[in-house]
Amino acid sequence: MENIQPVKIAKAGKAVLMKGRPLIEVKNCTMEFPGVKALDNVNFTLLAGECHGLVGENGAGKSTLAKCIIGENRMTSGELYVDGEPINLHSYSIRESQALGIAIVHQEFQLMNEISGLENIFVGHYENKGPFIDWKAMRQRADKILEFMQCDVNLNVPVKHLRTAERQIVQLAKAILNESKVLILDELTAVLQEKDIENIFRIINILKKRGMGIIYISHRLGEILDCCDTYTVLCDGKHIQSGEVKDIDKPKLIKMIIGRELKQVYLPINQEFGEVLLEVKGLTGANAFRNIDLQVRRGEVIGIAGLLGAYKTELIHAIFGNHKISNGQVFINGKEVKIKSPEHAIKLGLGLVPDERRSLGLDMLFDIKDNTTLPSIDRFKRWRIFQDHKAEAKAAYDHSERMDLSYYSLWQNVKKLSGGNQQKIVIAKWMLRNSDIFLMDEPTRGIDVGAKFEIYKLINDLTRQGKAIVLVSPELEELIGLCNRVYIMFEGEMMDIVEGKRKTQEVIIDSLLGINNNGK
Amino acid sequence: MESNKDFKAKSKRYSGGWRAFFQDWMILILFVTMIILFSLTSSTFRTTNNILNILRQASFIAIISMGEFFVILTANMDMSLSSIIGMVSIFFAGFVVTMGLPIWVAIVLVMLMSVVVGIVNGVLVVYGKMPSFIGTLVTMNVIKGLYFIYSGGLPISGLPESFNFLGAGYVGLMPFPVILMAVIAGILNILTQHTALGRSFYAVGGNIEAAKLSGINVKFVGIFAFVLCAILTAIGALGLTSKTLSGNVMLGENLLFDVMTIVVLGGTSLSGGRGRIIGVVIGALFLQVISNMMVLVGVNTYWQWVVKGVILVAVVLIDANTKRD
Repeated sequence: MENIQPVKIAKAGKAVLMKGRPLIEVKNCTMEFPGVKALDNVNFTLLAGECHGLVGENGAGKSTLAKCIIGENRMTSGELYVDGEPINLHSYSIRESQALGIAIVHQEFQLMNEISGLENIFVGHYENKGPFIDWKAMRQRADKILEFMQCDVNLNVPVKHLRTAERQIVQLAKAILNESKVLILDELTAVLQEKDIENIFRIINILKKRGMGIIYISHRLGEILDCCDTYTVLCDGKHIQSGEVKDIDKPKLIKMIIGRELKQVYLPINQEFGEVLLEVKGLTGANAFRNIDLQVRRGEVIGIAGLLGAYKTELIHAIFGNHKISNGQVFINGKEVKIKSPEHAIKLGLGLVPDERRSLGLDMLFDIKDNTTLPSIDRFKRWRIFQDHKAEAKAAYDHSERMDLSYYSLWQNVKKLSGGNQQKIVIAKWMLRNSDIFLMDEPTRGIDVGAKFEIYKLINDLTRQGKAIVLVSPELEELIGLCNRVYIMFEGEMMDIVEGKRKTQEVIIDSLLGINNNGK
Repeated sequence: MESNKDFKAKSKRYSGGWRAFFQDWMILILFVTMIILFSLTSSTFRTTNNILNILRQASFIAIISMGEFFVILTANMDMSLSSIIGMVSIFFAGFVVTMGLPIWVAIVLVMLMSVVVGIVNGVLVVYGKMPSFIGTLVTMNVIKGLYFIYSGGLPISGLPESFNFLGAGYVGLMPFPVILMAVIAGILNILTQHTALGRSFYAVGGNIEAAKLSGINVKFVGIFAFVLCAILTAIGALGLTSKTLSGNVMLGENLLFDVMTIVVLGGTSLSGGRGRIIGVVIGALFLQVISNMMVLVGVNTYWQWVVKGVILVAVVLIDANTKRD
């Protein structure tokens, strides 16, 4: 794979940018929203040819800073220089920043779902032949970009049919199409798997060599250490420190981010198990996984690892009654059950924390209380018909407090809460329902370090209360740190189960890629 | 005790400030302002008779709008409503006048027919995964065809006088339709605000996938909304029929527009998941007051359509352009 020649995507004649020159300079930037100071006197410099990691908790001001740089937000005071030229902030806009060669790729998709990947890449910048769109030229150019990124994505189908990682690649292709000087990657990898992330790193390296400056915003500190040359830490809108990545390590970084030291990332895994709560035998899902066996006991966390296309999410949904099962058996508490719907699954004691918390986990029109109590509404009854609103609010309040949720009112809409707080509500739904088996699909996706550790602690607490947890995660470290056993899937089949001494990154990675050392 | 105090603080409805309060009750504030304004300027408007008249005229359209409210709340739309009105009216009169069935039997029969239409609508949309606009447009035309085949388009008159009570009777000073509307609105308000089923409508309309994964039977809820709509529409249609004592296939023509205006006026989000029964009632009264005032001032029918159109546009514009968080 490595010996494929990078293809030049640049139009001929464009000079390679000089390395080490400041591309973006932000000086004394303050950004005030009504009642909040999102950025307070922040300085930031991005040099050509470097990848600059921007880290901080949710609400620390990373995205706000990025938005100031691209002109989506207008800073209240401060100065901005692009490529050495001062910018007139009063007239600065996204349009101008694009003309200056600043591109941004968001975590949330900004693609048009119904149209093809090809058109998505070129939308607004169609190539013309006379009065007509030159599809052939666009296709060739798109193919070159994909080849350059060493990715194989079907650009002919509407992007809604593409997988998350593939869509992310379409977004990236769109961003590097226009000869950008500066590329801002805002949580790009939050929804990606390890293999795809490595791919992104490789692309970043190539772009760096061409003299581009890259601002890399991520919650995954490992990525910052792996991929970035320099870093800037923000905390509560204030600039904490900038420096070279080679001078720091993870604990130091964490300390700067959350303003305190974290002694233990992962608590000792619970080793006291009860009976088998959930068992799956020979489960085969329509157009997805085949012949899956797994079991999880009371007090146990099992992990499911797998790359994109391993059908982990489908497996979880099938157990939860939301994906068609064509063959196989599911046992809960030793009894065989035919789960017909999520409703049925919930009655049997299952709870699902879905991977897309905004579209699957929460109702964005609802407040905290209504979201938290939604799976349990039938439990708060007065005279068997009427809702007991007070008891409902009390229960929601108790769980929100237990979760250390930061909120001012139970009636508060969930839309504006941070990712970590939203995820806490999704988990609280099932704690309130008193579910026994928690199916968690990437529960720490896109949430900050502090909130991640809180989720880890929560998972640990749940096991000590005798709950069983099935944890899907793209982060191997997380799986190793939290799970008693890790099941590894490859293209819909179970490759291996690791526990004890075999539970290492190396062993898991081999199975992830379909290399089986187990002889199973 | 500390935590109890904290709970009280955090479960206060409008801790978000007066803005949230204003957004929730904007329509009511506008309505009251309008009433005061009209009462001050017009001596005919503020007579008891006129007020009771407004209430009576608004009643059945309000009941029908409450039906559409449930469908819109679940992020669907029922276009077949005007046909259900025509169907109920003509078949009811047919059963009673032509076939000589007792009134209560005829009522049960037309109710059953409406329930069937509601189920068909629901199944087409929920199981058939048809866009509700298309699915109900189809049933609208099919029903229309059927009742025209049945009646030839002619009205059937000669319903017994006693049936007139439903649409024009009085209990003491209060017109019966107003009482009926108030009772139905009260029951539906309790249903939406104080029962699990009621909350499910909001959950389905707000985010159907999240609702499904939270264990709500989204298919049942979706179909039930259509059935509820058909039943309420049938009640409204019977009331309208009783006013003239004749079955008329044209009874529902042009009503859909008023119903939509009322539902949206009442603060119901067209994308589903937001709205209240009380809002629909206020919306119906709102529209009726404006119609009434226009009649008093002497605006002709065609201009009334124009004014109503402008109102709908204004309300939808406000709804689409104010963010509620």
